[in-house]
Amino acid sequence: MKEKLETIKNEGLKQIDATTSTEALQEVRKDLMGKKSELSIILKTLGSLSQEERKEIGQLTTEIKNLFATKLDEKEETLMASKSVLDEPIDLTLPGTKVSGGVLHPVTQMCYDLNDAFRSLGFEVFSEDDISSEKFAFDNLNFAEDHPARQMMDTYWIEGTENKSASERLCLRPHLTGASVRYLLKHGAPARFVYPGRVYRNEDVDASHERAFFQYEALIVDKNISFSSGMVMIQAILEKVFGRSINVRMREGFFPFVEPGYEIDMECLVCGGKGCKVCKHNGWIEIMPGGVIHPNVLKSAGLDPDTWTGFYINIGLERLVMMRYGVDDVRLFHSADLRFLDQFK
Amino acid sequence: MRVSLNWVKKYVDLPSDLTPKQIAYDLTLRTVEVEEVIDEREKYHDIVVGKILEIRPHPNADKLKLCITDIGEDEPVQIVCGGSNLYEGEMVVVSKPGAEVVWHGEGAPVKIEKTKMRGESSYGMICAAEEVYLDNFFPSKDEREIVDLKGVECYPGENIADVICMNDTVLEIDNKSLTNRPDLWGHYGVARELAVIYDVPLKELPTYKIPKNIKEYQVEIKEPSKCHRYVGIEIENVYEKESPMWMKALITSCGMRPISAIVDITNYVMLAVGQPLHAFDRTHVEGEKIIVRNAKKDEELLLLDNNTIALTEDDLVISDTKNALALAGIRGGKKDSILPDTTGIVLEVANFTASTIRKTGKRFDEKTDASIRYEKNIDTARVDLGVALALELFKELFDESKIVAYKDAYPVPTECAKIDLPQEFLDVRLGKKLSCETITKILTSLGYQVNLKDGIYHVTAPIWRSTGDVSLKDDVMGDIARILTYQSFESKPLTIEFSHAVHDGKDLLERRVKEYLAYRAGFNEIYTYPWIDIKYIQAARIDTTSSVRLATPPAPNLAILRSSLVPGMLEAIAKNLRYFTDFKIFEMAQVVEQGEYHESCEEETLPIHKKFVTGAIVSKDAKENFYEVKGVIEEMARYCHMEDLTFTNEAKPSWADINAYLNVVHHDKIIGSIGLLSPVVMNDAKIKRTNVAIFELNFDEFIPLPSRTNHYEAIPQLPLVEKDLSILVNYEVSWAQIQEAIESKVRELEFIEEYKGNQIPAGKKSLTLRVKIGNDTKTLTSEEISQEMEHLLKLLHKKCGAILREE
Repeated sequence: MKEKLETIKNEGLKQIDATTSTEALQEVRKDLMGKKSELSIILKTLGSLSQEERKEIGQLTTEIKNLFATKLDEKEETLMASKSVLDEPIDLTLPGTKVSGGVLHPVTQMCYDLNDAFRSLGFEVFSEDDISSEKFAFDNLNFAEDHPARQMMDTYWIEGTENKSASERLCLRPHLTGASVRYLLKHGAPARFVYPGRVYRNEDVDASHERAFFQYEALIVDKNISFSSGMVMIQAILEKVFGRSINVRMREGFFPFVEPGYEIDMECLVCGGKGCKVCKHNGWIEIMPGGVIHPNVLKSAGLDPDTWTGFYINIGLERLVMMRYGVDDVRLFHSADLRFLDQFK
Repeated sequence: MRVSLNWVKKYVDLPSDLTPKQIAYDLTLRTVEVEEVIDEREKYHDIVVGKILEIRPHPNADKLKLCITDIGEDEPVQIVCGGSNLYEGEMVVVSKPGAEVVWHGEGAPVKIEKTKMRGESSYGMICAAEEVYLDNFFPSKDEREIVDLKGVECYPGENIADVICMNDTVLEIDNKSLTNRPDLWGHYGVARELAVIYDVPLKELPTYKIPKNIKEYQVEIKEPSKCHRYVGIEIENVYEKESPMWMKALITSCGMRPISAIVDITNYVMLAVGQPLHAFDRTHVEGEKIIVRNAKKDEELLLLDNNTIALTEDDLVISDTKNALALAGIRGGKKDSILPDTTGIVLEVANFTASTIRKTGKRFDEKTDASIRYEKNIDTARVDLGVALALELFKELFDESKIVAYKDAYPVPTECAKIDLPQEFLDVRLGKKLSCETITKILTSLGYQVNLKDGIYHVTAPIWRSTGDVSLKDDVMGDIARILTYQSFESKPLTIEFSHAVHDGKDLLERRVKEYLAYRAGFNEIYTYPWIDIKYIQAARIDTTSSVRLATPPAPNLAILRSSLVPGMLEAIAKNLRYFTDFKIFEMAQVVEQGEYHESCEEETLPIHKKFVTGAIVSKDAKENFYEVKGVIEEMARYCHMEDLTFTNEAKPSWADINAYLNVVHHDKIIGSIGLLSPVVMNDAKIKRTNVAIFELNFDEFIPLPSRTNHYEAIPQLPLVEKDLSILVNYEVSWAQIQEAIESKVRELEFIEEYKGNQIPAGKKSLTLRVKIGNDTKTLTSEEISQEMEHLLKLLHKKCGAILREE
């Protein structure tokens, strides 16, 4: 009987080992462990044996059964692990299925990045209409009466109003600054807000000049603040946009609606300030003008310049986008050319 | 404006270790933007003085000569030359190999190399003036004439830049950064800034004294509001001759052309102190009297080129007792010119106001070196600087010159601005407490008079800054800050006064709508111009009667400002069809139409602005495009958290197909439309072999939800039963009728498919729909389900004439 059991064990283990599919293993399991298996039959016939034999054979049989169980489980585990949902291997180098979807214009993306940055600093987003008047575009902003921008050729005046003046002479806004007075007239001070938008200049168009382009202006009006706080704001914003701290410098600049006025240059990101074609070899790129709001502008907004002060910055969105991606032709932004726009996914 | 550093150094001794690059940087931070630093010597490299020792005939060419020339090297060199004025012993200009010359004064510079000409070697080239930038110094009379340095102090091998004093460095300054600084339109003003920046003394300019008992020249100012001062000086024993080399060099460095000594003196003085001057031939001034008056009606000014310009009564002219001689402060006429026979002049040193110069200059569309300066508003004291320097130079250049008559008509002197500047104001606005020594020192060196009393600086601005540039305490504060440099002030943290939540609801909705269209619906955002080509406006059949137009449009066909974004969309589609077949684009922008709107105040009337959002789906299958665009609008409100949009079918948009359009309704108001472009619109817009579905909505009418409003519904405890139903109905039966019939009877009703074709009887269509039915309290038995479906079918039959489609 012992020899028989030994044979059953060896044969059984061989059988398990030779099995190659889970389905076949199921059969083997039945063969070895099932009710009609040799082991089951032996166990059923134990009663006919002597007490001593019964104990010995019973123990041995159970051991073999346990061994089979373990081996069967192990085999099943191995067979399961080597199974695939695919009938055959596939070409893993084929490209994945494209995620379809459109893209926002790169200028819009930049604008939203800035909105996020400014909102985190407590700014509100404001907007003004495309058409404004000489009063808001020039008079309120301390532009001299005979400033060249007021002439026929530099600004797009609206037909029928071009020979009138002040609030009756309408134009496509030549800059965003007029909106600052509109906001302050409506909401008063203190205030901190941004007002992105498109502006229009009657210019000849080339790779670096456009007739319609986007600006992003921010203004803070408060009591007792110094222009040097503007620097913190500028650095914070550039860091948000470019993802790291950017060297900037502030230099003298003149704009009628500020006193003092400054130009803010950032270190050229292309050459790291060493000088290259992009920065015309001086290492710096003019990125935004700014300055302390002029007392006359505060007066137009109904605010007392002895109480209130503040500062502007004005960012050219296209220029920032061009810097970010190395775009070399400003005309592409209004081209509606999907070969260009699709690159900004 | 070009600033010569050699010139500036006449007025300040700059530290010797200072590089031009550093000067440019320091000026840029504090005063004006230096765009470029130009080393004038560079273009003269390897161009030297040569002495022709011997001239031999060229064996193979009649017109060429072999010149044995000493160019300061160990041995004389042979140079082949075809110049018409060669002689032995002549001092000439030689471009050695490596030099760059401009052939015949035209085109890009070419590098000179050792070469052979007709078989004879030539070491470089003997040059004509215009070939090596010398035409300002040695004007040539004929084409083959080379430069003859006779009478010029020089030696063989000497670099020509040193001979002509062009060993200069020029700062190119951005004119825009100078618009508010009339004082910087002369070298003395720039020198003053540098003296302040480097803390070195500024040298004094000459003064003058008119000898007593000089005859009074007759000057009459009829328009004192336009001409604040006019000094007329009659000088005799001056005539046409060349200026000395140093003067030609400085004028050349500044980008002007030397003409003759008299004219050069006037230009030199202007470039030195920023005061324009004008010289009239005294014999041309009829009646020996200068009258500053408005032009008469129909008066004309005869110009040097014999053209005339018509004047108006607004234009200020300089006239004699008979005719206008010159357009004041802008340009002279033919009659005032300095000619070879001139022996005496009337020198004008005058102050004209900025506004009169700008107005007249604008009308004649003319900017001259004089008018650019007058336009900046010059102070009247500058006249004295001009007179003094000019008289000094006339004495220097014309030893025998003599003042014979003089008049200073001075009706309106410029007044210095007086400003009170509290210390506290400076402390707060600068964000830093500066010592009163620092403040006083900066202001004084800039020319302010400062008197500190009881914590208030009583300052008097320098007269050269008092014509508008400096008038407020902010201006003075700005001067202090810029000299110390803005970036030297430590950045101050910005504090936030937190008082209320910022909502920006509409702005955030705009962003959600754009992101929905791009990221969920697959549209690419575009921007197009507000002025649209009339042909696309006409193609879209947009009514332009209430359009707003530009007075001076970019082009005649671009005069109309858009009242719809559809025409721009048509243009963008037509353009992109060259490269793509299937695409989706959208734009959000303002459109305008005539109307009355007051944004900020009553007196300002603006046209009506609306912000539109417009999109297009382009691909061949028109029906699919339509339902896709409908889906985009149906889902928009849900995804963008705004109040609902619904559809109606009332008014066909001008661009839409007769069979496929819907109006979009929001709060019972039509706020836009969707539809397919009609064949005729596509044809006119040259959109070929495809189809386009368009949506256009007025974003201004959208109302953002204050927060998310998704609402929770308990998940059904018992499973719903899902059943598909295929029915046959008459072709005219709409989905809306099906919905009407059974939607309220089921948990969910979904459209699956519409079919018509061979397997369907004519005039019928097959509709497959999916319903979900269920009961909250018990599971439906298959019998109950059958009953329910039977019931639905009966309803559909009764209301829509539907019958079950037999498979």
